Amino acid sequence: MSWLKRIDLAIITGALLGVGGVLIAFVGNPVNSGICISCFLENLAGALQLQGELRMSYIRPELIGFVLGAFVVAKKTGRFKVTGGSSPIIRFFLGFFIIVGCAVFIGCPIKMILRLAAGDLTAVVAVVGMMFGVWCGARYIKAGVFLERERNMPRINGYIFPFLAFLLLIFIFFQPVFIKQGQTGPAAMHAPVLLSLALGLILGGFSQRSGLCITGGFRNYFLFREKTLLSGVITFFVTALLVSLATNQFNLGLNGQPASHMSHGWTFLAMTLVGLASVIIDGCPFRQVIKSGQGDIDAGITTVGMLAGAALVISWSMRSTSAGPEFAGKIAVMSGLILCLLVVVSYRKNVRTAR
Amino acid sequence: MDRLDKFNFILLVVLILVTTGMLVQHELNASKNTEPVLDGKEAMIKQYKEQIARDAVTYKEVVVAKNENRHQDAITMLDEIIRSHPDNPQSYVLKAEIIHEKGQLAKAIATYRIAIEMDPDLVDDKTPIFIGDSVMDLITVARGKLNREKKLKPNDKTLALALENIYYLQRRIAGGCE
Repeated sequence: MSWLKRIDLAIITGALLGVGGVLIAFVGNPVNSGICISCFLENLAGALQLQGELRMSYIRPELIGFVLGAFVVAKKTGRFKVTGGSSPIIRFFLGFFIIVGCAVFIGCPIKMILRLAAGDLTAVVAVVGMMFGVWCGARYIKAGVFLERERNMPRINGYIFPFLAFLLLIFIFFQPVFIKQGQTGPAAMHAPVLLSLALGLILGGFSQRSGLCITGGFRNYFLFREKTLLSGVITFFVTALLVSLATNQFNLGLNGQPASHMSHGWTFLAMTLVGLASVIIDGCPFRQVIKSGQGDIDAGITTVGMLAGAALVISWSMRSTSAGPEFAGKIAVMSGLILCLLVVVSYRKNVRTAR
Repeated sequence: MDRLDKFNFILLVVLILVTTGMLVQHELNASKNTEPVLDGKEAMIKQYKEQIARDAVTYKEVVVAKNENRHQDAITMLDEIIRSHPDNPQSYVLKAEIIHEKGQLAKAIATYRIAIEMDPDLVDDKTPIFIGDSVMDLITVARGKLNREKKLKPNDKTLALALENIYYLQRRIAGGCE
């Protein structure tokens, strides 16, 4: 892959994500939800009995593939660098609230693009909300708001996440009694295990090299007018759109779209939260999972926060259904935005003090 | 490697071997003792078939009344069952079917919504209780009719609510990760 330029890699990764994301739904994953980090984490939380909704309990092999694919490629290319120690508790809770935002919209930024590419017009508001959140984040970065730099850590820290991913893989094949797998609802909608795993490994590997990140693409454009990652995001959308059309999965409209709702104001706020928090912690949910496989402990802490969020959005109903957002979900989105602003205020103060 | 490192390394190897041995022994014992168990999907289908059999007894008289077109009697009986067994969505499914037969489309759709909110598996085609096709048929008829009425009465809140229920059911039947 070394002969490829970064922009080529971003475009290839975007294309793979678009093709893979739509086709994996075609062969079994939930409709419009071929790849969705928040849904996958909710499913994982259920499988580990961190939440009790059996319909949402399944270890998604794609998730394991993302981590292990990124790990293998990072090791092979000398990019496995074990770093961490940058505001871990802030990252944990921002990860938590990112999943709250995703659950209120019903989907992570990747699913947002997959939904849009499948003709779901309710996702347009989500795109606008996420872009607004990223734009705010970029403005805050310009104003001197950023979490402190990470530092090198002992190497064992970097192996924990790939080991956990490997352990989950063993759980898939040996099915110990404490692992739950639902037989109805989203849990029962899945592509063949080996196919899902292969897709995850390929996407994990390419995403590690390209650094593809949905929020990062917009952030870099807003900050520096830099289009490398954005070109990958656009390729992702265009490819997903073409494959949706080719596989007859395209259904343009607002009404009757799978796993959607019509509370556009809350969709906007939820995805603003996702965009803003993702900029503060440097990466969308997908990017956090990839980075946790390449030795980034901060991303690992964020991913643990996202898993905690995935469990509690179900247990505490901090999410939306087809009927719209639950009250607890609305309060959680507001709380997430408050936390983001508190972080912004306190870290900007730190920077000023340092100056 | 000093003595402490050597000691720790040996201890680590011993702990890993002992843990692995415990796991292997546990698995071997478990495989000897287990009776044939149903896999998850078979267990789910068996569970639903048992529920269907129980419901057949519970709703026997309701179904008789329904088949004899004694709609009001059937609804009265269902309301009593709902009072004593408020958690069974089958009451609402039957009630919706009867209301549909009476021609009250909007009310039937609202009743189906209650049933599906109680048990989303009703619109999962992998389960034996799947009713998605019949609900979709009703939706297709009702959507056209209610949209035409909405054009005539744009401010009618009852119609707006009925259409909202239709879109809700469409979203549920469309599937997705919810």
